[in-house]
Amino acid sequence: MGEVELSCRAYVKMYLHACLFPRCSINGLLLSSSSAGGAVCVTDCVPLLHSHLPLAPITQLALTQVDVWCSQTQQRIVGYYQANACVSDSSPTPCALKIADKIAEQFDNAVLLMLDGGKMSPDYRVPPIVMYERKDSRWTLKDKHTIMLRQWEETRAIAGQMLESGDHTLLVDFDSHLDDITKDWTNQKLNTKIAELASPANGNI
Amino acid sequence: MASVSEMYDVGWEEMRDKLRKWREDNCRNSEQIVDVGEELISEHASKLGDDIWIIYEQVMIAALDCSRDDLALTCLQELRKQFPDSHRVKRLSGMRLEALERKRKISILKAQGKSAEAIRELNEYLEQFVGDQEAWHELSELYINEHDYGKAAFCLEELMMTNPHNHLYCEQYAEVKYTQGGLENLELSRKYFAQALRLNNRNMRALFGLYMSASHIAASPKVSAKVKKDNMKYAAWAATQINKAYKLAGRGNKENKCSMKAVEEMLESMQITMS
Repeated sequence: MGEVELSCRAYVKMYLHACLFPRCSINGLLLSSSSAGGAVCVTDCVPLLHSHLPLAPITQLALTQVDVWCSQTQQRIVGYYQANACVSDSSPTPCALKIADKIAEQFDNAVLLMLDGGKMSPDYRVPPIVMYERKDSRWTLKDKHTIMLRQWEETRAIAGQMLESGDHTLLVDFDSHLDDITKDWTNQKLNTKIAELASPANGNI
Repeated sequence: MASVSEMYDVGWEEMRDKLRKWREDNCRNSEQIVDVGEELISEHASKLGDDIWIIYEQVMIAALDCSRDDLALTCLQELRKQFPDSHRVKRLSGMRLEALERKRKISILKAQGKSAEAIRELNEYLEQFVGDQEAWHELSELYINEHDYGKAAFCLEELMMTNPHNHLYCEQYAEVKYTQGGLENLELSRKYFAQALRLNNRNMRALFGLYMSASHIAASPKVSAKVKKDNMKYAAWAATQINKAYKLAGRGNKENKCSMKAVEEMLESMQITMS
């Protein structure tokens, strides 16, 4: 189908989310601030859970709140990401498919992104992601050539650098927010740090 | 942390007698046995006379149940020293090794993603070590990941029974019920979210859960006017508490401005759809 662009900010935050909870399954939402039509530009993401992913109440709550925040900030939910606790298996779980389906109801070109835990070490040069799109009511693997990460080398470097400096501990997912509601699940602080490290070409898509 | 004797204002004799009573009644309260027994052993060993050996055995078994292998090993070592050729002690030793071995096996299965086998092994383990809270919780998580909510609920019911003051188990049980869906489960979930709040009024998941479950019940076409009214009241109360909590959190804190605004608007919009 269409092209999908993944921004530095979105990738780095997903990566840090997975690194913050290495033994858990984690998930989150992919957002876009670009208008509809043409390529899907994933400009940001909201990390959601690191426990009890299949349970409904908190997921529903998070979807609603993120929806509201998006309408306040001219963004929209365009996809879903997940990393499985078991690194040898990066296939979408039933709950991933369910949530992605819900998102696809509101956005035709929704994407489902699975982080491949087995390929996240610094030795791997390619993005450790597998993307799915909806074709004929089923989630099918997307052609790798339709997935773009501009300035991949720089993005990868930023992710690695922030992990080393312990910045992943600054990341707040919805789960953590519920444990302490003074914490910000939009991660403005982290966004600022990423922007500071990124070159202008990689900055804001 | 305060000692058992300080917290409950009891002397060592009462603690010893409590342990005896629990032995005679075959009680499953492993955590209590560990708390009382550990203190008794470390502070009053010399006063216990020959009772100490049966107490070591009792505490060792309870410690295995609570995943307190450090304590289990200490008790076992004392028993070995005193009764070097005893079959009974050898059996206890075997029990400990078996518990450790099985736990290790289960961890490996989990890491390999072999959930069905991990579940089977964990069930077998719990048949023997029926008081191991950690294991029950692990099993509930495995069932949740397998979408077997009925069995997950069963595990959480076990945990709630032995830990009636634990707000987290109540809240997780409520979440499972909510996920199972249907009016009856929604009402149960609302009740348990409310119970979790009674145990800890700062549990935000329980507060939001109460709000959402009550809202859904109120919006259901199948309920009577009274039930609808009651649940709208619960939802309204929860919404007030949520707003209060977020206002408090927002004071002098620019950081979570975005999340605050999102909650405010969400609550407002849900009110509109409900009325």
